[in-house]
Amino acid sequence: MTPETDSPELELLTRKLADAHKMASLGRLSAGIVHEINSPIGSILSNNEVVLRSLAKLKRMLQEAQEQAGPVPRKAIDMVDSIASLSEVDRIACERISAIVRSLKTFARVNESDLRMVDVNELLRNTMKLTGAVFRGRITFETDLGELPEVECYPGLLNQVFLNLIVNAGQAIEEEGTIAVRTRAEGRLVAIDIADTGTGIPPEVRPLIFSAGFTTKPLGEGTGLGLTITREIVEDTHGGRISFDTEVGQGTTFHVLIPIEQPRSETNNRSSA
Amino acid sequence: MTNGQPHVLLVDDEDMVITSIRAFLQLETEYEIHGYTNPQEAMRHLEMSPVDVVVSDYLMPKMNGIQLLAKAKEYQPEAARVLLTGHADKQSAIQAINKVGLYQYLEKPWDNSQLLLVINSAIERTQLLRNLREKVGELDEAHTNLKDVQTRLLRAFL
Repeated sequence: MTPETDSPELELLTRKLADAHKMASLGRLSAGIVHEINSPIGSILSNNEVVLRSLAKLKRMLQEAQEQAGPVPRKAIDMVDSIASLSEVDRIACERISAIVRSLKTFARVNESDLRMVDVNELLRNTMKLTGAVFRGRITFETDLGELPEVECYPGLLNQVFLNLIVNAGQAIEEEGTIAVRTRAEGRLVAIDIADTGTGIPPEVRPLIFSAGFTTKPLGEGTGLGLTITREIVEDTHGGRISFDTEVGQGTTFHVLIPIEQPRSETNNRSSA
Repeated sequence: MTNGQPHVLLVDDEDMVITSIRAFLQLETEYEIHGYTNPQEAMRHLEMSPVDVVVSDYLMPKMNGIQLLAKAKEYQPEAARVLLTGHADKQSAIQAINKVGLYQYLEKPWDNSQLLLVINSAIERTQLLRNLREKVGELDEAHTNLKDVQTRLLRAFL
């Protein structure tokens, strides 16, 4: 936006700031992620113990039946069914943990300095999976993800844009509400809308929301940099556009436009510190 | 008063947690297990049928574990209340202890033998409380009868 952003030092600083902000956001998400992982781990540990004990009991039953040349007891068959159903629970639990780990991995790439072709819907699904763990019970996601071409972008940075916008949307909703995430292709651009049913942004605050250091959140909860970094990533780094509609008491929708291709003059292999 | 075996109410929005704990308790005990993934349905159960212990998750849609246990306290004050949570923050623990008179606060991933120990002692406590209430009722009744006899005696002699 400003001529200064052409300076490599400033751009490096912006990237570092963006990374620091991303780590802070992830830190705040971690409580929800821990909860999301603790239930399946608890289940697997418990199931493992139950399966081992059941097998020991089963062995005794079968040995007794063999010694007395009697029929296999009905209880033994029930036990086999119970072991099978616990193994199925283990499978689901492992899938749940892997899904969370996969979505975390996409965020953990700190300095993704290369432009890559990316499925934006996939990035959004990952972000919803992570934030869903934090908002669980309070917020429902409504998704309308259109068919999109792959987008040339810095995936780590775009992830951060989506994380910031969705976390903000969740924080704008005081109790229960909905976050709608919509995507569609618009010529040489993809459009992403993130709408919440939250408190809306008061008119006096609207001109300030993209300014560095401005925050309405209590001390320690917001850095006042989230939307500043979001705008820099969308507009300065990717040549896109970000705007919003808001109504107090009704909610806010952020509109993000990202070009499918970055200009060819862009160096594809920026060095990262 | 519950009849026969003790009744355990399990509430967790994760079906897998209920399946695992149910399988464990069925293997180790003869307890009647009632599992709900929807806290509002669990609340209706509490309204209708007596239980000995309620084991509830904290983070659930529509109603959190503390809200559910507060209802449990209202409907069945003697039933012991246990919070089993993956959301380990001090604030929710303090709130749970102060607001709903929690019997135990357990964290996920849980340890089966610890869970069984807690459930067993919770059931014992609930049954002792119920016995105590019954005995107090009997004492009250005996006291009323005695007073009655005393009044009749006084009337007979005066």
